[in-house]
Amino acid sequence: MRGGAIPILTWGTILLVLAVGNWVWNGKAVGSGAASAAVLIVYTFGAAVWLARREAIRRGPPRRRTEDEAVPQASVAAMVIGLSAGCALFGLAWAKFLLYFGIAMFVLGVGRLIVERRAERATRRQVLGEEERR
Amino acid sequence: MSVATGRTARVPVMGGWLGTLTSTDHKRMGLTLGVCSLFFFLLGGVFALLMRTQLAQSNMHFVSDNSYNELFTMHGSTMIYLFVTPMAIAMALYLVPLQIGATRVSAPRLCLAGLWTWICGGLVMQQGWFASGGAGRAGWSSYAPQSNGINTPGVGMDLWVIGVILAAAGMLVMGGCVVATIARRRAAGMSVLRMPVFTWTALVSMLMVVAAFPMLVLVMILLYIDRHGGHIFAGFAGAIDYQDLFWFFGHPVVYVMFFPYLGAAAEAIAVSAHKRWFGYVAFVASMMMFAALSMAVWSHHMYVTGGVTNQYFAFTSTLLLVPAGIEYFDMIGTLIGGSIVLRTSMLFGLTFFIQFLIGGFSGIFVASPVLDYHAYGTYIVVAHFHYTLFAGSIFGFFAGVYHWFPKVTGALLREGLGKLQLALMAVGTNLTFFPMFFLGNDGMPRRVSRYPTHPGWGTLNMLETIGAGIIALGVLVFVINVWTSLRRRVPAGNDPWLGHTLEWATTSPPPPLNFEAPLPPIRSYAPLLDLREEAIDRARERAEVTAGG
Ligand SMILES: [Cu+2]
Repeated sequence: MRGGAIPILTWGTILLVLAVGNWVWNGKAVGSGAASAAVLIVYTFGAAVWLARREAIRRGPPRRRTEDEAVPQASVAAMVIGLSAGCALFGLAWAKFLLYFGIAMFVLGVGRLIVERRAERATRRQVLGEEERR
Repeated sequence: MSVATGRTARVPVMGGWLGTLTSTDHKRMGLTLGVCSLFFFLLGGVFALLMRTQLAQSNMHFVSDNSYNELFTMHGSTMIYLFVTPMAIAMALYLVPLQIGATRVSAPRLCLAGLWTWICGGLVMQQGWFASGGAGRAGWSSYAPQSNGINTPGVGMDLWVIGVILAAAGMLVMGGCVVATIARRRAAGMSVLRMPVFTWTALVSMLMVVAAFPMLVLVMILLYIDRHGGHIFAGFAGAIDYQDLFWFFGHPVVYVMFFPYLGAAAEAIAVSAHKRWFGYVAFVASMMMFAALSMAVWSHHMYVTGGVTNQYFAFTSTLLLVPAGIEYFDMIGTLIGGSIVLRTSMLFGLTFFIQFLIGGFSGIFVASPVLDYHAYGTYIVVAHFHYTLFAGSIFGFFAGVYHWFPKVTGALLREGLGKLQLALMAVGTNLTFFPMFFLGNDGMPRRVSRYPTHPGWGTLNMLETIGAGIIALGVLVFVINVWTSLRRRVPAGNDPWLGHTLEWATTSPPPPLNFEAPLPPIRSYAPLLDLREEAIDRARERAEVTAGG
């Protein structure tokens, strides 16, 4: 599982070379800005992936399947948050009350997300505990 | 997976349709996204048929000029933001974790939120049809100042902008989840250079989503502000800035709408040729170059503006030929010496490559500024991008559908109906889009609802309209095929085609955490083919030993 970030960072470097080419040859502020922003995004993403997965670099047995099993198979919170974005922005153009309704939905969604995360952590502890007892 | 659901009882897991809509299983999310995209495909197809009816003869009054503007805008927007791009993401979301031996996708809740944001985007955009003044009508690229609050007033256009923001944000999130999954969740042994061909195409596409889609969200937010008194894209410089920002997304998305379908066609061809994909490392390198280069060509859409350095963009655009050539070389290399089975998925894959060639060759023309001055704004451009997007990507998509439908549903599609669909679509596609080259060369402008009675134009346009009808028949045959195959199921088994990659090592459809049995050893990008070849080698050795003893 090593090297997950390598293709991302490699690709970011090719983008960087092309962005420099663009800057030298085309030399427009907007275009160069966009190209640099893209390079930055890709590097940041690659770095995040790299840092988040430090444990993957360690040698040893593969990750435990039970950790995946503890992740809930459904999330009402995520759906509500997605819908809240749609509702709020739709309200912006169509009817103001939907904007406030969307914001309320978002708050509810985040609340529900906290509940879901807690339940997930509790389940994971329970699962790992069971496994150790065995 | 009773274990998983039982243990997570504190967060109740719902069955039925609500269970599907709230599922964080990448397969269910991929399917929901795919099915919604297909719905939008049919809708966008209806818009196209209405346009073709209007254009069947020179001075038709089937729809008004304003409605025609809405139709071509919503056709392009629906197809690009709501079908071809999200379908590419749907296929990646469904297949990539299976192909790399992962049990789930990274950040599944974020991904689900993205899915719903995208769905909202689609609905909001289509809501424009019910607005006074009509839906978005400034083209799928909605250039400023055409799209500003003075030239295109009305809520419908606002809803279009908001719809695009939501759809783009949703796709950005889902694309990011796919990249993170590839980076973080590959099975032991699945090194970067052992990832299947489709996964590689998905990876580079989703990297482009991550790198380019933020620009679309940004430019649409700016456009919204501009429409409401912001004066952001004012004057000549503002118009150029809008195009620069828009095409920074707008060109890469063309390749997001291409690579995964190329990957699907490649997998279908390799499996049906019973050979591993030829020239894997060159393919991987060329995909990386291809994707990066296509982030550096965006202003070839702006040659005629005089606001960009045409030489630079002509240079990078023409360079795209090199990686494209490598894909074709690899395809031919895969076919040579293979034991080829001409099943529907294979035929769609081959047709994809052949027809895309026309799109690619016409691309060489429009990549050249001098020739583009002639082609710009005419039907040549329409023909060119429909040969890449429809005659290309959609055929690759159907190659993928016929290849993976048995994996997703556990049932085989009907081969006869599939071949009928292919024949109808191939005839319809060429009848619709090839005459556009002649019309465009003759100067027929795009985005007009009526054209003068110029000699020959009526006939060619009528042929195109007939072609569009034949395409619609082909799509109808596909719908019938899916319906029949799901109603009277022919069980597919786990691996009906002798597949190469890990998704064929699990059940059809796969269980919630993808793999019940331990994964086979992964020593190359075609681990199942490795197993079969090893078995053949062992049998041969045994035979030799027996013969020798
Ligand atoms: Cu382009």
